Amino acid sequence: MGNMPCITLKNVHLGYKKPGTVLNVLSDINIEFYPGDFVGVVGLNGTGKSTLLKTICGLQTPLDGEISIGGTPISELALIELAKKVAIVLTEKIKGFNLTAYDAVASGQMPYTNSFNRLETKNIEIIEKAIVTSGINAHRSKLLNELSDGLFQKTMIAKALAQQTQSVLLDEPSAFLDYASKHELFLLLKHLCHKENKCVLVSCHDLDLLLKYCDNLLVLSEGTVELIKVSEASQNRQFMTIAGGYL
Amino acid sequence: MKNPTSIKFLVLIFLFFVSCALSLFIGGSESLTLRDLTPDHFIFWQIRFPKTLTAIIAGSTLSAAGLILQVIFRNPLAGPYVLGISSGASLMVALSILAGSSFHFFEMFFIGKSFMVFSAVTGSFFITLLVLAISKKVNSNVVLLLIGLMLSQICSAVQTALEYFSDPNNLKSFVIWGMGSLSHTNNNDLLIYLPIALLCLTALLFFVKPLNALLLGQNYAQNLGVNFNRSRFYLIMISSVLTGVTTAFCGPIAFVGIAVPILSRMIFSSSKQQLHFFSCLLIGAIILLLSDALAHTLMRDIVLPINMITTFIGAPLVIYLMFKNKHW
Repeated sequence: MGNMPCITLKNVHLGYKKPGTVLNVLSDINIEFYPGDFVGVVGLNGTGKSTLLKTICGLQTPLDGEISIGGTPISELALIELAKKVAIVLTEKIKGFNLTAYDAVASGQMPYTNSFNRLETKNIEIIEKAIVTSGINAHRSKLLNELSDGLFQKTMIAKALAQQTQSVLLDEPSAFLDYASKHELFLLLKHLCHKENKCVLVSCHDLDLLLKYCDNLLVLSEGTVELIKVSEASQNRQFMTIAGGYL
Repeated sequence: MKNPTSIKFLVLIFLFFVSCALSLFIGGSESLTLRDLTPDHFIFWQIRFPKTLTAIIAGSTLSAAGLILQVIFRNPLAGPYVLGISSGASLMVALSILAGSSFHFFEMFFIGKSFMVFSAVTGSFFITLLVLAISKKVNSNVVLLLIGLMLSQICSAVQTALEYFSDPNNLKSFVIWGMGSLSHTNNNDLLIYLPIALLCLTALLFFVKPLNALLLGQNYAQNLGVNFNRSRFYLIMISSVLTGVTTAFCGPIAFVGIAVPILSRMIFSSSKQQLHFFSCLLIGAIILLLSDALAHTLMRDIVLPINMITTFIGAPLVIYLMFKNKHW
């Protein structure tokens, strides 16, 4: 159909529970994301971008409300099923233990392998495709700590691709990248949305990149979220506040 | 070379059999030959055979425990001995020997031994949880190592206090046991030791997938469909039993648990934990068998403590790694 939302948030409240207190970060979120959406998540530091992304892929539980992936609430999905529907690329670095770029990408197929993690021909084909799509073919056998920041991000995106999920979430993937790498990264993400019909949510502080490549913006401000079209960004008060008047 | 991995494995298997033969036939009071291998040869069946089998089990269990700990802590410098886990097990064994001598149930073989094993496992489990809790507060691999050292010192201090106030009989068994030895295990002990070790190692085989996922850290592992908390709990259980049971029978054996997984990663440049699982079993057994052969042959008529040999192999390796600061 193409009209089924792949991610639905219904009356969702996000935040942290600490003994005695509840820290509410974002309140009353009602949004739907569809396949093919390329959404930039914008907000000042500490407004809950990472929290939102981590909650959508089940790494954190919402304080209240319901998040559904492909029509099924996360709470009713087995971890392994969720792993086949949403992939996340985080800011954390991985290194050591002889892990190569190929190994990292191959780990994306983990939800599909047997309990001894044996890669069959069909698994390897998917891994190869992910490596080629992300443009890291020449660096596949390098150790993760030998990769530049740009290549590392591409590797982790390849891992997310190998996970064969409808949705891909990325938490500040463009941080530390040089100018050219940033654009290559966003071109790759745009390709995933428009050619492979994936739903991509990317949090980022480079507003000019988001304005140039994304379709929609999810604006996080003052504890609420608002989904706007990129073309409406300059009329949006919250967005212009985040831009600080410099755009 | 068509397939370097399988060639390396074949070499390891060959070395394993050679070191088995060395440990079985050479050393101690007399060297044996194949002609001595009669079904009732006392030295061979009652002394050499249990000692060799103990070396194999101890080497592979400690190495497997080290492999688990290094992955869980995502720290190539982790191991049961350096994190104080062996010391925790030792302390509990000392306590159990003390309790056993006052309640006289050590005269009943299986109950006494099982109680000792259970105490050692409890001790290593508790220390692992403690180190894990502390490790969440520190980011540095080396600081974690220092904390393990401190925990190990605390356990030794308590143990020394116990030794100080114990009667001469107990004191002797504490001290001899504390030096670490492969020769105190007889064929009856092996009836308890071998099944527990085999059970844990088989269980670990079913956790190679979580082990691989844990290399990427908690968040990525969970996003790949691995139940992080549950897997980590079971893995800690397995490594505690592996360390505990070996400490109960052989005493605290130094540096095998940390050095073998590192060696395995140096030999096989792979991140596949299923491969390292098998190679750690082999390398661990080889190292302890060879250490044992060295302990018996380095000085005429004197058997050196096994910990002395393993420390000479393991400690320089750890120092080398720290200097190189490479992330194995």
